[in-house]
Amino acid sequence: MGSPVSQIDADAEVPERAYEDRVIDLDFHVNPLEEDLLAYVEDDVVRDKLTTEFGPTPIPGKWDAAYAIKEGNEGLFTQGRAEYAEDVREACEKFAIDEPIVNAGVNNLPLQHHPILKNGVVQAANDYMLDHFADEDIYTSMLVPKWDPEYAVEEIERVAAEDNVVAAYSWFGPKTPWGSEQFDPVFEALVENDLPLLLHGSLAYWPQHSYIGDEMLTWTEVLGFDWPIHTMVNVVNMIMRGVFDRFPDLNVVFQEGGHWWVPFVRYRMDEFYEMHPDDVKITPRKHEAGGELLERRPSEYLRDNIYLTTQPLALPRGSGQARDLLELSMADDMFTYSSDWPHQTLDPPTWFYTSRAFDDELRESILHENAEEILRL
Amino acid sequence: MSAKPEIDDGYSRVASVGEVPRGRGIAVDVDGIEIAVFNVEGEFHAISNRCPHQGAPLYKAGEKKINAEDTWTESRGGVNEDDLTVSCPWHLWELDIESGEHEVSGKCIGTFDAKVVDGEVFVRI
Repeated sequence: MGSPVSQIDADAEVPERAYEDRVIDLDFHVNPLEEDLLAYVEDDVVRDKLTTEFGPTPIPGKWDAAYAIKEGNEGLFTQGRAEYAEDVREACEKFAIDEPIVNAGVNNLPLQHHPILKNGVVQAANDYMLDHFADEDIYTSMLVPKWDPEYAVEEIERVAAEDNVVAAYSWFGPKTPWGSEQFDPVFEALVENDLPLLLHGSLAYWPQHSYIGDEMLTWTEVLGFDWPIHTMVNVVNMIMRGVFDRFPDLNVVFQEGGHWWVPFVRYRMDEFYEMHPDDVKITPRKHEAGGELLERRPSEYLRDNIYLTTQPLALPRGSGQARDLLELSMADDMFTYSSDWPHQTLDPPTWFYTSRAFDDELRESILHENAEEILRL
Repeated sequence: MSAKPEIDDGYSRVASVGEVPRGRGIAVDVDGIEIAVFNVEGEFHAISNRCPHQGAPLYKAGEKKINAEDTWTESRGGVNEDDLTVSCPWHLWELDIESGEHEVSGKCIGTFDAKVVDGEVFVRI
């Protein structure tokens, strides 16, 4: 006896309920073609050098993590390549993403050697994104050059006020952490322009360019742990060095830096700080201001000023354990959804509907409310 | 599409041979069970439509990427005819199309009998 049969031909790849919620994606990568991007470089001398055989991001070495992926470097384009606004809209429809916050994630840019050439790429990428995304009603995060704080401020002042520019995008890595005082003018400009700072892992440092990275040979070590380690270092550095006492309205989102380390950092920071806080007064910001202590417990800055993107979310199998871990990780306050489209670690918002760890309130916080708050949407 | 069920040893007609291009799949709901049916060099294989990793729809393996001409592999996952595997369109989990096994994780999804009669593809759950 045969059974009732119907053909499935759905474009949707996530549960139908996802289409009923507002889904904001904090990490959606656009990949302009190189020649299209370089056409936007304004400085003739810079454009001339960027169009040599070395290309716009001539970094030494390679992305070793690609050895783990069947398709090698193609893993960065597992889902395709979005070049224009209509490409982004087509991709988002499959995954019920309502508001992608797109970035021109030239993620191997930080290690390019010449600051003038790097700044040329930043300028071109921001103008490309304004023309093809912000002007097409897609929320955009502008590139901010970490290596040149003075130019970073200039670029923020040039681009931030444009319609649909809702965030600044830069990178964390094994080099100077973001707690350093040299970034204060950048923080000041971001706060003045109501922009959160999105910090993404940098492919440039994978994995040859950090001391422990030299010995990391597998994808699991590098993506799984190298980036979260750098995230933790940057988070603690910013908090303990008083960034958020000086800039209490600054919000920072760490992208792809993991999230289950939050309970460890949360309790360990408070324990260490409360046990022996006497060196806080000799950190440069506190010393300059004549302050003795942080104004709040370290974990309170973590909860209020630091945000994390969820992708790739690796939940414990049991929903009870997952719920406990989410609570310990302050997910309701800190987590924001990200897809990482089109990379090999893509995370559609399926989890939030298939796991009983998420109640309606937590799901809404992660899928849109936390993002709305920091992006001021 | 909906089709009249075929009464023959529990097999149900799911498609005509010409409706499933070589190296691609379709998805059907057979009595509430989602099944992906792949054409592998003219042989038809039926496997659960949901990847055991994160529930991606497997039948989309081999779908053309956005701006595929600017990428290297052009498709989201796909069927490997030599190895008899299907790679998931989301994260490239490679599943044995005959056994439903994912070697690295040890996870396994259901597979189903499939046969072709007179140019029609039948599946038995």
